[in-house]
Amino acid sequence: MTRPLLIAFPKGRLGDELVPRLAGTPLALDAAALKSRVLRIPTATPGVAALLLKGSDLPRYVAAGVASLGIVGSDTLDELDMDLLELADLGFGACRLSLCTPAGVTLEHLQARPHLRLATKFPRATEAWLAREGLTAELVPLSSSVELAPLLGLADAIVDLVQTGSTLKAHGLVEAAVLGRSSARLVAARGATLSEPGRIKPLAEILIGALK
Amino acid sequence: MPVRTPHFPDLLFDAAARLRRWEDALMALLAAQGYRELHPSLVLREPVPEGALRFFDGDDLVALRWDFTVALAGLLARRFPDPPDRVAYAGAVFRRPVQPWEAVERFEVGCERIQPADEPSAEADVELARLLMAVPAVLGLKRAILHLGNAALVRRPLEAENLPPGLAKAVVAALSRRAAHRVHEALGDHPAAGRLTAHAEALLSDLDGPESLKALDASPYADLLAEERDHMGRALKAILPILPDRLDLRVDLADVAGLDFYTGPTLRLWAPGAQQELAAGGRYDRLFPELGRPWRAAGFCVRLSRLLDLAGTRPDLFELP
Repeated sequence: MTRPLLIAFPKGRLGDELVPRLAGTPLALDAAALKSRVLRIPTATPGVAALLLKGSDLPRYVAAGVASLGIVGSDTLDELDMDLLELADLGFGACRLSLCTPAGVTLEHLQARPHLRLATKFPRATEAWLAREGLTAELVPLSSSVELAPLLGLADAIVDLVQTGSTLKAHGLVEAAVLGRSSARLVAARGATLSEPGRIKPLAEILIGALK
Repeated sequence: MPVRTPHFPDLLFDAAARLRRWEDALMALLAAQGYRELHPSLVLREPVPEGALRFFDGDDLVALRWDFTVALAGLLARRFPDPPDRVAYAGAVFRRPVQPWEAVERFEVGCERIQPADEPSAEADVELARLLMAVPAVLGLKRAILHLGNAALVRRPLEAENLPPGLAKAVVAALSRRAAHRVHEALGDHPAAGRLTAHAEALLSDLDGPESLKALDASPYADLLAEERDHMGRALKAILPILPDRLDLRVDLADVAGLDFYTGPTLRLWAPGAQQELAAGGRYDRLFPELGRPWRAAGFCVRLSRLLDLAGTRPDLFELP
């Protein structure tokens, strides 16, 4: 019995970039379904469907083997550290994970503070950076609109993804340090890849060919 | 935020009967090959690792048995001046799972092949591979995949390069994800970055079967790993002619699971469509010397809890009882 194979695609910024690139490939997403509110989208290949998922949920679907393949930012991947395979760095969606401060506040200013508060969606990467720098800080975990935190006094600075810098600029923030770089990665369920390579590899090659 | 889903499964009639049947059949398979059962206590007083279910017995911190191999090694090192050569076990272990959907209480059957340190190990490794090859038929799995690896293929180059522990851990994590590009990212401008990235690419080569050993030609550590390559080559020569029809064989040069424990050949059993390995094992020659015994050992463990889950969710993968 051959089971339908699911590929997890991220909603949002990365999803917006990858959907047009898949047009015309065997994994092109059904245009009518995309316009609807359904989150399980047929592809041009029978027996293969796409799931549209929030980036932070996506690795869990793949690690659990619900989706056999997925595309997700390396920032999310590192933050969640799930047990899955990373087949390729697709290169697109490149951005920086940066420490961002109100204009005029430097890294040295922050280092001099007796009590530092950092708001972030990326506590794991932030903790790792703090450890490397020999710093301690109170982390304020947020899931969205992180840029507001320094403006409203919730934190002294933020650690967040920066692509063009325009959102930072709009909130009077500047990059004080780059903690790491992120790009879209093709991930795969360990079980599916090791137990059914004949089904997974051709689909992975189509995705790499279309997206890398 | 860590997800904790304590999971102590109650097995109802069919699952309980299946567990009993599988345990009996596997123990009979092992007994027929000379493996005698030992049953270490459910409560261990060894240094308790993170993830174990701990409690105080008076003033002593103890834990429920979290691993049969560790429990047996402690028992053997304490009670036997000379090693019994073949040991089998069956029962439950308790440890907090890495993945939140896994059970805390897990049922296992397994075996350990123990030898004096000066005895060659090649035959014992092939013996274990042959035993594991017989397991799918005993369990009624229609098809299965045997993965052969060797922990030394990663261990020895990392030791030769004397990487700091943090960096070595990052390289192993990258290999666990099968991501050669991550090895490169992790090593940055380290002097060994080029060599270890090339090695990772060789280990992750798409070649399969006996041909996959040729991938090691492209590794900068080909000479260092000549002995391991010969060992794997001989094992393949011994195993391939007797491979059962229901079993596919894959050589997995980049197997790094349990790398802090395994020292040599590794074995894993999968079923097509399974999300987790159903049995795993390998050579672990450093454990007994750490316990003061000059013995070497290898073994494998059949993860019956995963098989019970698989039989529940994918009955089509099994023959009818």
